[in-house]
Amino acid sequence: MKKRVLAAMLTAMTALSVCGMSALADDNELVLFTWENMFPQEVLDGFEEETGVKVVYSNFDTDETMLEKLSQAKGGDYDVVVADDYIIEQAVNEGLVSELDKDAITNFGNINPLYQGQFYDPDDKYTVPYGAGIPLIVYDPEMVDFEIKGYSDLWNEELKDQVAITANYRVINGITLLSMGKSMNEEDVSVIEEAGQKLLELAPNIRLIQDDNTQNSLLNGEASVAFLYTSQVTQVLAENPDLKVVYPEEGLGFGIMGAFVPSEAPNKEAANQFLNYILEPENAAKCMEYIGYYNTIKAADDLVDPNLVVPDSVSKGEIVQNVSAEADEAYNKNWTEFKAACGQ
Amino acid sequence: MKKKNKWGLLVAPLYLFTLLFVLGPMIYMVAVSFATNNGDGYGFRWIFTLDNYRKMTDSVYLQCFAQSFQLAFTTTILVTLIGYPFGYFMAKLSEKGKKRMMFLIMVPFWTSSLIRLYGWIIILQAKGILNGVLKALGLIDKPLKLLYSYPAVVVGMIYALLPFMILAVYSSVEKMDWDLVEAARDLGASPLKAFLTVTLKLTLPGLLSGVILTFIPSMGLFFIADILGGNKIVLVGSLIQDQLTRGSNWPFAAALAVILTVLTSLMIFFYRKITHVKDLEGLF
Repeated sequence: MKKRVLAAMLTAMTALSVCGMSALADDNELVLFTWENMFPQEVLDGFEEETGVKVVYSNFDTDETMLEKLSQAKGGDYDVVVADDYIIEQAVNEGLVSELDKDAITNFGNINPLYQGQFYDPDDKYTVPYGAGIPLIVYDPEMVDFEIKGYSDLWNEELKDQVAITANYRVINGITLLSMGKSMNEEDVSVIEEAGQKLLELAPNIRLIQDDNTQNSLLNGEASVAFLYTSQVTQVLAENPDLKVVYPEEGLGFGIMGAFVPSEAPNKEAANQFLNYILEPENAAKCMEYIGYYNTIKAADDLVDPNLVVPDSVSKGEIVQNVSAEADEAYNKNWTEFKAACGQ
Repeated sequence: MKKKNKWGLLVAPLYLFTLLFVLGPMIYMVAVSFATNNGDGYGFRWIFTLDNYRKMTDSVYLQCFAQSFQLAFTTTILVTLIGYPFGYFMAKLSEKGKKRMMFLIMVPFWTSSLIRLYGWIIILQAKGILNGVLKALGLIDKPLKLLYSYPAVVVGMIYALLPFMILAVYSSVEKMDWDLVEAARDLGASPLKAFLTVTLKLTLPGLLSGVILTFIPSMGLFFIADILGGNKIVLVGSLIQDQLTRGSNWPFAAALAVILTVLTSLMIFFYRKITHVKDLEGLF
């Protein structure tokens, strides 16, 4: 064991010195700043082979740490950052993000427009979406007699005591609002209260409310329909491929991860090259399968695992954002009332 | 205890610990319960308000308190009905039998309570053990919906709290003077009357300790309701957790916690008043 640690340390030291030397030699490296395990090594190696730019992978635990480090570096030090939607909005507001060089990123058109024009980058000036998490409905067609097409079907009386849902109060309020043709980020308290009334009508159908391993309820027979997070959808389909996934017709609620170039990135040219490289369909497909999120690169749809592709029929999507204190309070109250009604 | 104790200084660290880590947080909690929530999901301001308490009068939150008390009462009564006879007869076993029984009661504690709860899921779920047995016996054709229901939560609560009642009653019955029961019988009391007037009276402190050891935790064991009840029974505990995490309303969570503490203390006070028990065995 000790030997192996020592060996690893030696390798790391050699790697560091080599890397330091090459940095001195031609300075052509790209510092990629994101969570752990966000890019397959194959793609990073491929990029280095094609461009001669070495990728230095630096990682953070949470979006907040990323923003803190980036603002300490005054938008420098890092060349490409991948993080969540809401934190990108903050980074943009703090002037830490530079506009993309779309002349260099010739593959920009490969992006699925469904994930563009979102609140954090309304004019698509700053970001390349890199995977989306989408809560979806999954059901067992053997146990449900009709076809589920959208959120409204969850209210169907035939599903009495058969629906499992995740426990995010904003998302559940959100899909209720979507089923009413409203926005997930509704601010009008009277509309939110209306949604609360509608949510109470869903209560008899709820079998369980749970955030962790919600997908198990479909496998152990507790529920016939479940509203699940992306990772749960992927897992449950791996266990039982006969289950059906519904991309609700009312529109999706999702979270997007985006790649951007910081304002003072040391190597902007390489950064744009890198973004262009991961937008190549083959590379994008490898990346999406590696991280297991929904594919945000339209041109890669045919290459990637079909379970990670949202069908063309879905054209609307929205991200849950922070709302005013009054609205949030109303959402909270709806949620507590709903949960209490479920136990009756 | 009233004599001046020269070893008193040795207890000082304990006092200090209690002050710092029990009284300190309590004061902080009470203070926070009067603060104003920022509302943007992050933190609160030190501006005095009674809003957090006013908000609690909303029917949905009152219902949570009612639900919590109802569950705590149900659990306590059932645990008493099962635990008292259990502890009583356990104390009448031979020395060897007592030891064995004690061992069997303690064994489950070697495993985390959370894991044991997941064991109940395996037993109760639709494709689980209990439904499988019932089906094999031909008693049902469709699996019963046992999990994620009120009875499932009550079963989980009883399971988690029964040992405390058994041990409290056991220790009380064990050191009881049986000559007194004999005397009562000699003087013509029926077995039932002897039990009610002598045994029950003498073991009341133990029983009451058991009741308190059951009732108070059952107000707080919200994770059982979450896991076995599918999150559908909203107890004050889960409401507080929700407000601390998802709802990010610390002042409201603190106010709920304060009221819960006050109500529970009142319950203990009334128990002691009603039963006239001054000294609770194993407690205080």
